[in-house]
Amino acid sequence: MQMNTRSTYIKLIRKNFFSNKLDSLISTVLIIFIVWSLLKITSWMIFVANWSVVSNNLSLFTFGSYPRLEYWRPTLWLIILIFLTLITLFWSKKGILRKYIPIAWIGMIPIGLILIGGGLGLTPIHSRQWGGLTLTLILTILASVISFPLGIVLALGRQSKIDVIHKACRIYIEVMRAVPLIAVLFFGQLLIPLFLPVGLEISRVLRAILSFSLFVAAYIAEDLRGGLQAIPKTQKEAASVLGFSPIQTMQLIVLPQAIRTAIPSLTNQVIGLLQNTSLMAILGLIELLGISRSLLANPNYIGLYMEVYVWLAFLYWAVCTIMALLSRHLEKQLTYGRG
Amino acid sequence: MIKLFSRAVIGLSLLCSACAGPTPNNLSRLDLIQKRGELNCGVSGKIPGFSFLQSDGSYEGLDIDICKAMAAAFIGNSSNVQYRPLTAAERFTALKTGEIDILSRNTTHNLSRDSIGGNGLTFAPVVFHDGQGLMVKKSSGINSLEELRGSNICVGSGTTTEQNLNDAFQERNIAYKPIKYQDLNQVVAGYLQGRCKAMTSDRSQLAAARSGFREPKSHVILEEVLSKEPLAPASAGGDQKLSDAMRWVIYALFAAEEQGINKDNINSKLLLANSDPTMTSMRRFLGIDGELGKKLGLKNEFVVNIIRSTGNYGEIYERHLGKNSSVPIPRGLNNIYKSGGLFIAPPLK
Repeated sequence: MQMNTRSTYIKLIRKNFFSNKLDSLISTVLIIFIVWSLLKITSWMIFVANWSVVSNNLSLFTFGSYPRLEYWRPTLWLIILIFLTLITLFWSKKGILRKYIPIAWIGMIPIGLILIGGGLGLTPIHSRQWGGLTLTLILTILASVISFPLGIVLALGRQSKIDVIHKACRIYIEVMRAVPLIAVLFFGQLLIPLFLPVGLEISRVLRAILSFSLFVAAYIAEDLRGGLQAIPKTQKEAASVLGFSPIQTMQLIVLPQAIRTAIPSLTNQVIGLLQNTSLMAILGLIELLGISRSLLANPNYIGLYMEVYVWLAFLYWAVCTIMALLSRHLEKQLTYGRG
Repeated sequence: MIKLFSRAVIGLSLLCSACAGPTPNNLSRLDLIQKRGELNCGVSGKIPGFSFLQSDGSYEGLDIDICKAMAAAFIGNSSNVQYRPLTAAERFTALKTGEIDILSRNTTHNLSRDSIGGNGLTFAPVVFHDGQGLMVKKSSGINSLEELRGSNICVGSGTTTEQNLNDAFQERNIAYKPIKYQDLNQVVAGYLQGRCKAMTSDRSQLAAARSGFREPKSHVILEEVLSKEPLAPASAGGDQKLSDAMRWVIYALFAAEEQGINKDNINSKLLLANSDPTMTSMRRFLGIDGELGKKLGLKNEFVVNIIRSTGNYGEIYERHLGKNSSVPIPRGLNNIYKSGGLFIAPPLK
């Protein structure tokens, strides 16, 4: 029996990788290359790399320059986030939990802001002291939350029959899509303060969040437009026959389906957004990438670029993967009714 | 429609030009800092020995200590500083928009940055005399600019470094290929990965970078110095009160070293001067007699506050760039005039 399976494996391998001379040659070269690079990478990771730069600075990567005594606040928030993610992914089938999970996720945002920024009896911590992974997550989450409704409004506005609204939305979307993100960010960070009256200061973090939101909203609007157009006209007609008002039709029939269709591309936007927050490092915010660049100037860690950047790649990968898993889960949940 | 729109834009821009500007009429930035109780200091955050992040999230370095000395003098507390990490490209905008009060970020003092027709900044006295150099691998056998003909040279873009490199090579009619990076750490990485034969930056930064290499001894800094790089803190121009205060804070650091007043003996010196009315110059310096501080818009004992928090210039230097620091750079020109350096403080009278 065992012999049998082994020989089928060999057969399979032979068929797929070594069926003729050219095939064998390509396969051999590729296999040698893959094995060689894997060996090189693992031996570097184990023997050459000096991971002390990562292990000694875990709190720096997570919290940045956040006051030491208040570390428990972002820590608590991150733990709740992780916990919520686990519940959502593994235990959400249970009836009671299912009802409250969306509420819990929405609640996470004000809770996080209060925990990190202060208020309700907690000492206020100015946003310029936020940093590291915490700041990256705050930027991503807040910018997505603000841009999503904005995107819906723009997408609907673009379909509007009123000319002014339709044109205004279209111009906004076209302009935002034609400008590179970095230009929008530069505008937000360097030009906006020039226009503001003296004494009125909008914090850099808030300016960054707003710039990201305004930019991403245009893309979200386009993603949603795709969703909206995927819904057959007959549904609207059927709805109006059944006596639904246009607003009800939009709210109960068209939008839910459109959003569901658009979820994969919306996830794309959020993941892109998370990675784009690293652009703020060149604009002086000490988010995940910024903090790493500052750390690399510490005389104790000069020259350990590879270690730091490999670690960063891993962190970004981990966060993005979690987000992708969550979105796939959401997609499944929403298709539940459709069977 | 279009007419209306363009009118609105013009109106809005007029409104904005009226409201913009670094300081409201007559109120000096110094008053603003004192009212706020906090100094916003623009730093690099990425230069070993000058400003970098500690594992606990605090900043340290020579540039940082200058911020601390300013805060000690202006506000009376050296820990009331908010550091804003800035890139080379955005540092002047940040000053102009008032996002930061002072800039302490390895900035070379030169004419175009100082003048009204240029960046229009006001510089405090130089706190570090630097010069641009080139570093090559010892094994390459290169020891003059001529031997770098046609080679790749790693350089940070948007800095005077890039300009100096260009000037020096063009003057000598040597062709080369600049490989440009965003900041020094990337320049170092590029050089170590072998993307270029030489890297160029200020000699202090080359030394700092080299001290972190796995084999520091196999790299040499060429003898030739391409430029003068007097690094100085700066403020937005047109604010005499603030720039005067900054200038005399730096001078006080030099004067304290000259008179042998440091962090350890400041209290005993103060006691001594308090009890001995004949030590007139010391009494004036430490704010017991006279109104030196008040004239600048500071407290009379501002010098005591500075020395208590950061020590004199020599102590700051030793802490971050001295023999026992992790980025040792010989003091050379960066010494008070009595010891053969360039630093001299006009009399604090």
